[in-house]
Amino acid sequence: MREKIKMSDKKRAAYRTGIVVFLVVAALTAVEFYLASISGAIAVLFFIALIKAALIVRYFMHVNRLWTDEGHE
Amino acid sequence: MSVATTTLSQYRAQLRSNRLGLWLFFISELFLFGGLLISRFYLWGGTRPDLDQRLGLIVTSILLLSSFFMYLAEVGAEHENRRLFLFSLIMTALLGTAFLLGVVIFEWGGEIRPWDGAFGAILYGMTGMHALHVASGIVLILIVAYNGLRGRYTAERHWGVEACAIYWHYVDVVWIFFYPAIYLMGTVPT
Amino acid sequence: MTVLSLGIVRGLAGQLIGSALGIGVSVAVRVAMGLPLEVKEGAIVVGILVGAMGFMIGVGALTDWSKWMLGIETPLRLGPPEGKPSWTRYFGVDYSHKIIGIQYGVTSMVLLFLAGLLALTFRVELTTPGLQFLDNHTYNTIMSTHGIAMIAAMLVGVGAMANYLTPLMIGTSDMVFPRLNAFGFWINVPAALLIGTSMYVGGWDTGWTAYAPLSVNAPLGMQFVLLGVFLIGLSSILGSINVIVTVLHRRTPGMHFFRMPIFVWSVLATSIIAFSATQLIGLSFLMVSAERALGMTFFSPVLSPGAVAVGSPAGQVLLFQNLFWFYSHPAVYVFILPGLGIISELLPVFSRKPLFGYKWVALSSMAIALMGFFVWGHHMFTSGMLEGLRIPFMVTTMLIAVPTGVKFFSWIATLWGGKISLQTPMLFVLGAISIFLIGGLTGPPNGVSVSDLFLHDTYYIVGHFHAAMFGGFIFPFIAAIYYWFPKITGRMYDEGLGKLHFWLMTPGFWLQSLAMARVGLLGMRRRIADWDPGLGIETGQLMITIAGFAIGISMLIFLANLIISAVRGRVASPNPWQSRSPEFQIPSPIPEHSYAQPPVITGEPYDYAEPDSVYVSMSPASSAAD
Repeated sequence: MREKIKMSDKKRAAYRTGIVVFLVVAALTAVEFYLASISGAIAVLFFIALIKAALIVRYFMHVNRLWTDEGHE
Repeated sequence: MSVATTTLSQYRAQLRSNRLGLWLFFISELFLFGGLLISRFYLWGGTRPDLDQRLGLIVTSILLLSSFFMYLAEVGAEHENRRLFLFSLIMTALLGTAFLLGVVIFEWGGEIRPWDGAFGAILYGMTGMHALHVASGIVLILIVAYNGLRGRYTAERHWGVEACAIYWHYVDVVWIFFYPAIYLMGTVPT
Repeated sequence: MTVLSLGIVRGLAGQLIGSALGIGVSVAVRVAMGLPLEVKEGAIVVGILVGAMGFMIGVGALTDWSKWMLGIETPLRLGPPEGKPSWTRYFGVDYSHKIIGIQYGVTSMVLLFLAGLLALTFRVELTTPGLQFLDNHTYNTIMSTHGIAMIAAMLVGVGAMANYLTPLMIGTSDMVFPRLNAFGFWINVPAALLIGTSMYVGGWDTGWTAYAPLSVNAPLGMQFVLLGVFLIGLSSILGSINVIVTVLHRRTPGMHFFRMPIFVWSVLATSIIAFSATQLIGLSFLMVSAERALGMTFFSPVLSPGAVAVGSPAGQVLLFQNLFWFYSHPAVYVFILPGLGIISELLPVFSRKPLFGYKWVALSSMAIALMGFFVWGHHMFTSGMLEGLRIPFMVTTMLIAVPTGVKFFSWIATLWGGKISLQTPMLFVLGAISIFLIGGLTGPPNGVSVSDLFLHDTYYIVGHFHAAMFGGFIFPFIAAIYYWFPKITGRMYDEGLGKLHFWLMTPGFWLQSLAMARVGLLGMRRRIADWDPGLGIETGQLMITIAGFAIGISMLIFLANLIISAVRGRVASPNPWQSRSPEFQIPSPIPEHSYAQPPVITGEPYDYAEPDSVYVSMSPASSAAD
């Protein structure tokens, strides 16, 4: 029983992470689009892209599984 | 992979190596896409072709949304929620196809042709190489969906799902850099 | 047993069918679109790619993966095939790293001999001024194909050593991805065929570097070479990913990083370059391919006639050179690092002394690998690149000499006071050092931009490059073949023929590199079919050709030695060199699963001076828990 509760907690946390990351990346994309319409500075746009990529790599691609061996439980 | 013939500890050892191998492949591909990105700055510099901004934003949003669904699909597989897993997987494939059609029909159907100077070459080179990866990702998703429908993935053993998912996210990461490089950076020459 | 049960025959059939299918469908699409019926280069590109895929399907390299996709299990089956003679293993898909290593090795030798034959052909032409029996275009084709085929031979040779030796040296039974390993080998075969075919479909005339825009305007053969090299690059990438994961995850208990045989370090360093930088040569060749087939203006400095005015800039010539050399300079280290690793591996065995400065030698391989990424500009001093970049690239180039020097001093210190026994492998190791020294010392004048402005594109560069490649790769490769021959076949090679091979080849090579450098300094240009009799280089040119033939004859002796000894040689003991390396502690030829139990590493690898010290202890079969 406890096992099951723990599992559903983990599941809820996973949903939350997914939604938050999605919203942040979407918002950053909107910011990019807006910035480009006023100036289009290459360095700023590139920096925002780096942040977006880092979020996806960490939370969607679970890069940490490479050294923590998590997942598949 | 083979289910009955390997023990769980063997499976996990192989899983560890599979993950590292796939990530090394990503790093390797980073040099391919990085080379294209560098070529873009080398040839276009501070200019860019006049492209349909709405189209760029729409396809980018579609790909990002597909990545979110792929994330849900993986969570579904991890928790053996088959309905969530399969539904999200199909959504990902549909959105991926929509992205592909957006690029091939609308973006490539615009004014610029591949032989129109460096604008055409780089535009088609970057989107073409990326579209090739999207297309192969869709094929992978369909294979995973086929096996998922037959119940071949469990919470303990679903490397196929994980590999497909992180590959899809990787293709999204590439587009995160390609989108501003093609659509947003620099100015349109007059 | 029919001929079709051999994987390679099915593969070749698959390639033929695939090529015809690819071209046919492309032309059909063209006609369906209302265009006139003709075979354009785009259709041939499709044909080449579908043909390569046809080969892989035919040979069976994709069978297991296709089954996985349909959810069918395919247990990894090792051992000789059922109902077929065991030699057929070598002609089809086999997942044992030892078989794949031999397949790589034989392919490498075949390419080496064919490319050498091409070299002898145009050396005869170059012996005297004027054109004798080759016209300019044929000369260009033969010279260019010699270059790219040698590069391919060396890449495949690196694959041979890495695949055969790495799992054995780290005490494991196989590579971590055996199917990927087989795929990585077999893709080389259609690729090599494409490179060979290039000579018969119009040839090509750019030299192995395929500089754009020359390669954009070259005859059709160019397209075959571009895609062939792309496929070999794919093999290189997949193979090195496999090596990296294997070394990181599959070492036997007790083998921590600084107890690995030194060769494993150099293979690891090589793989780090190969799995990343190779993408760039693949990309640059694909871009040329696309520019040829579709008119995509990446490199041509003029807009194509059909371009509409969208304010677009044209292509840039130097972009190609930047992308190309970003791989192709590190590629040189892909060849030489395993070679230098072989030298460091064999010297302690034949000097009965520890390898001097083991850690420094190990780390110097990594240093060369990483620094190699920052020197590509030294190939472009005369290209018109940004002048301010000359000095930085010159400095990084000179810095490479530091880790290379570490290796040289380690070798000398290892030899110093050792009990040296001059058997054939050791002779070739010493020959390698002497030739690599020539290659190394002729290097700095090219790396310094002032003198390179004079030396660029002369035969001096040819001399330097051949000495670096022979000393850094070919000689160590030959030494490795002699050294591991008893391990692979269970029989000893013929020592007399081995020594004859050495004493014919090494002086021949000294002569060749020095003569090449000399005619270069006197004004002989690189890659040219004819030369000015006024240069006064008749003697030099003659010496190069004679030396070339001496090397060719010595290689024939080598081949005869290998074939005769494999069949009729004296049976060798499991450890003929008293080596401490794990693979010499098991019987020869090596059993199917190599180690009955994982060996346990309890000491340092090269303590040859201390007879009591133990490096590998083979756990007794009875203690097996699982």
